[in-house]
Amino acid sequence: MASAQQHVQSVQRLQSPDPVEVYSALRTIKNSIIGSTTKKSLYFKLQIIPHVTSLLALDDTDVQIRVQATAVISSLAHKDEEAARQLLDSGVVGSLIGQIAPGADAALTEASVRALNALLSYESVKLGVEKHVGLMVPYLLSIITEAKDTSRVYEMRAHARIELAILVLGKLCMTEARQYTIANTGVIDMLASLLPCGYPRLQIAALKALSALSYENMEICGALLLVRLKHKTYTEAILDLARNQDPDISLCACMCISNMSRMRTGDLLKDIQTVVVPALVKLLKTPGFSALQVVQSLGYLCHEDADIQLAAKNAGVISELIKILVVIEGQADADFVDQELNMRMVKGVFLTLGTIVSTNEECRRKAVEDQALVYLVRAMGHSDSGVKAAACLCTRYIIRSVSICRTHVPESGILAPLMSLLQDKTADVQVTASATLVNLLTDFSPLRADALKAGLIDILAKLLSSPNSTVCRNVLWSIRNLLVGIDDDTRREIIDKIKIETLFSLSSAPHESFLQEHALGALRNVVVDSMLGINAVFDTMGNNRVIELLRQATRSDAESAIKVHGLYLANNIAVRSQEHCEIIVGDEWLLRSITSHITNSSSEVAIAALWCINSIASHRLPSQGQHESDGESAEDVGTCRYMTELNALDLQATLERMLDDPNLALDVRDRVRSCLDYFPESET
Amino acid sequence: MTTSSSSSKQNISLEEWEGKMAEVPIAKNDLNQLIMNYLIIEGYKDAAEKFSEESGLHSSVDLGSIDERMQIRVAVQSGDIKTAIERVNDLNPDLLDTDPRLYFHLQQQHLIELIRQGKAEEALEFAQDELAPHGEEHPELLRELEKTMALLAFDPSSRSPLAELLDFAHRQKTANELNAALLAAHSQPKEPKLPALLQLLAWTQEQLDEKATYPRINNIVNPVLEEQSGAKETA
Repeated sequence: MASAQQHVQSVQRLQSPDPVEVYSALRTIKNSIIGSTTKKSLYFKLQIIPHVTSLLALDDTDVQIRVQATAVISSLAHKDEEAARQLLDSGVVGSLIGQIAPGADAALTEASVRALNALLSYESVKLGVEKHVGLMVPYLLSIITEAKDTSRVYEMRAHARIELAILVLGKLCMTEARQYTIANTGVIDMLASLLPCGYPRLQIAALKALSALSYENMEICGALLLVRLKHKTYTEAILDLARNQDPDISLCACMCISNMSRMRTGDLLKDIQTVVVPALVKLLKTPGFSALQVVQSLGYLCHEDADIQLAAKNAGVISELIKILVVIEGQADADFVDQELNMRMVKGVFLTLGTIVSTNEECRRKAVEDQALVYLVRAMGHSDSGVKAAACLCTRYIIRSVSICRTHVPESGILAPLMSLLQDKTADVQVTASATLVNLLTDFSPLRADALKAGLIDILAKLLSSPNSTVCRNVLWSIRNLLVGIDDDTRREIIDKIKIETLFSLSSAPHESFLQEHALGALRNVVVDSMLGINAVFDTMGNNRVIELLRQATRSDAESAIKVHGLYLANNIAVRSQEHCEIIVGDEWLLRSITSHITNSSSEVAIAALWCINSIASHRLPSQGQHESDGESAEDVGTCRYMTELNALDLQATLERMLDDPNLALDVRDRVRSCLDYFPESET
Repeated sequence: MTTSSSSSKQNISLEEWEGKMAEVPIAKNDLNQLIMNYLIIEGYKDAAEKFSEESGLHSSVDLGSIDERMQIRVAVQSGDIKTAIERVNDLNPDLLDTDPRLYFHLQQQHLIELIRQGKAEEALEFAQDELAPHGEEHPELLRELEKTMALLAFDPSSRSPLAELLDFAHRQKTANELNAALLAAHSQPKEPKLPALLQLLAWTQEQLDEKATYPRINNIVNPVLEEQSGAKETA
C-alpha cells in the first residue's frame, strides 16, 4: 500500500526523462485511482492534470505511455462533474480526439474513446465540447466501421471500441442541432443494424445512441419509423428488445420507444400499452435492477397521455410505486442504506405517480386506495426540498378530483404541512405548495374553512410580495378560488388584507400576463354577487381607473384569458345595478370593444362578451307609475334601457347574423338566443 | 404402453419414453454449441480450442480473451488480489470505476488475505485508508466491512464465527463475481447454459412426478433413464 509520500513521488516521476520510469509511474497512479474517489482527490491536489495532459500534448510521447496517461484521465473523469470540467478546461479533449484519428494505434484509440466516454457523462462537459463535435463525429464513425470490418467473430478489443464510440456519439446528442448533424451522417442505419447482433453491450450502446438521437425530436423519430431491418421494421425490432430477458436491453429499448410515443401514432401507442408498459413493470419488480431509472422512464412515457396513464395503472404501476415507498420508509433509520439514493427514489416515485394521476380520475382513485396520501403528507415534512416539492406536485394532481377532495383529503391531515410549506425557505417548494393550495380552496373543498381559520389570508397576503412570480400567480389563483361562494365577512377580510390596489396594479402589469390574468380573475370574483365587493372596488379605484382597466383588458390585442376575465369583470359590474351598468355603457369605446368580442373566434371570449351584453340588456325601463317622472313614454316600458346604445352598434343585426351561421358553436348559439330575447323581434 | 394407476398417475414405460425422446429432433450442432459455451464461460481455453478443431465448430468468441480472464481468476483464487486488480485495470479500466460493489469486494478480499497472513497492523491501515472512505460513499457496503473487520478480533487459526470469510469458498465467490462482471462487460453470458439446463431438467422432472410415473434421470453425473416401480404396475 502506497504512502502519501509515494504518491507525491509518483507524480514527480512523471517528469523523468526516462520513459520506462514515466510508464511505471503512470501505471502506479492508474492502479491507485481506479475505483477510489479518495485517491482521485489526492492526485487532483497533487496537480496531476497538467503533468498528464502535457504528456499527451507532446508529439513524441510513446504510445504505451499515452495509453496509460489516457487511462489515468479516464479514471479521473469518473470522479465527478467538477473533475471532468477541470479536465475539459485543461484542453485534454483535443489530445484525446487526436488519438482517435483514423490510423491511430488500436489500444490507444480504445483508451481515448473510453476517456471521452467517461468525460461526457456530465451535462456541462457534453455542452462544453461543442467546438470539437465537428471533428469528433467522423472519427467516431470511422472507429465503428473499421472495427466492424475487421472483426468477423467476437473480438473483445474491436467490440469495446465500437461500443465506446457509439456511446460517445449518443452522449454528443445534447442539442437538436447535434442530433441532426449526427443523424445526417447515416449513422441511424448503422446503429439499427446492430440491434439484432446478439451482443448485449453493443445492443445497449446502439439503443442508448438511438434514444439520444430521437429524444424530443419528432423528425428523427419519423425517420426511424421508416427504417427497415432484414425482416422487420425498426419499431418491431425495438419492441422485441423491450421484451428481452436482459433488463438493461429491455429498459433501453423502452426508452427508445418512449421517445417515439410523443408522435402519438395509433398503432405504436397500442404497442406501448401492451408491450412497453408491462416490460417496465417487470423491470420494476426485477431484484437488484436500478428501479430509479425505470420509475423515471415510466414518468416520461406517461407524460400527457391519458391512455398510457390508464394502461400503467391497469398494469399495476401505482401499486408498485407505493410498494417502493413502503420499503424506503422501512429503511428510514437503518444504518447500512444509501439514504441519498432512497431520497432520489422517493422524489422520482412522487413525480411519476403525479404524472400518472394528472388526468385520469380512475388513476387518482387507485392512488388514494393505495394510501398515496399518507406517504405524500409524511413527505411534506421531509428534510429535502426536492422530495417536498415532488410530494406537493403529486398531491396537486390527486386533489384535482372533486370527490377525492371532498372525501379523502380532509381526513388526510394535509392542510397543516401544506400551509407550512407555503412559507418554506426554498422557492421550488413554495411554488409547488402554492400550486397545490389552489385546488384546496375551491368552494366544494371542506378544507377551505379550516385553512381560513388557520390564518391563510395573512399567509397569502405575505406571499403576494414574493419575488417569485410563479408563487404570486398561484397566490392570486388561490384568492380567485377563495372568493367564490364566501360570506361578506371573509370577503371583507380578503379585501382588507390583500388590498384592491394590489390586485389593480397586478391586473395592469403589462409584462407579466400570467399575473395579470389571475389578478383580473380575482377582481372579477371580488365583485361577483357582492355589493360589498363592488363598492370596495369603486371606492378604492374610482370610476375612471376601473374603466381604464376594463378598456385595457378587452383590447383586441389582449390575450384571450385576459379578455375573458376582463369581460366577466365588466359583466359582474354591469349586472350589479343600473348605476354600475351606467358606468360601463357610458364609455362608448368600452361598449364597442365588448360588443366586438361577441364574434371572437374563441368561444370562451365570445360567451363572456355575450354574457356582458346580456347583463347590460337586462336593465329595463321602469314600470308604469315609476317612469313618468323620468320622462319616458309608455311604449318604452319593460324594454331594454340601453337599446339606443346597443342598436347604435348594430348589435341586434349582428346577433341575428350569428344565428344564421350553421357553424356557430352550440354554447355560443345558446347565449346569442338568450341575448336576442331582450330585443324586439325583427320584422323580417 | 401407457396406463393409468389407481392414483390416476400416468405410467410410461422405458420403451415408450425412449421412443418419444427419439422423436424430438436435437441438432448435433446445438449440443456442440452448448458444450462450447460451457468451455468458454468457464475458461477452458485449451479444451475449447481442441473442441473447436474436432467438432468443426467455429467459436463466435475470441478465444484469446479467455486467457486474460482466467489469469485474473487464478490470481483471485490464489489470494493475489493486487495482481488481479492490475490485470482488470489493463483489460477494462472502466470496470472497477463503474462498479463500486465489485471494487469493494476485491478490496475486502485483499483485507481478508492480510488478516489471514496475520498482518493485523497492515490490515487495519488498509481498512482505514482504502475501505472506510469507500464505505462512507456507499453505506450499503459498510455492514460487510464491519463483518470483515471483526475478523481481527479472532485468531485466524481458530474456528471463529466469521471463519467463512477465510474459507477458500469466499475467494471463489469473489473470483466468480469478478469473472461474471468481466463476461458481462464483454457481451458474454455471466453463466454457462449447461447448468441452467440441468436445473431445468430437475424442475421438469419434479413437475412431472406429480402427474406421471416415467423413466427418470436420478443421477445427473451419470445420467441413466431409470424405470420407476410404478411404471411396471400395469393395469
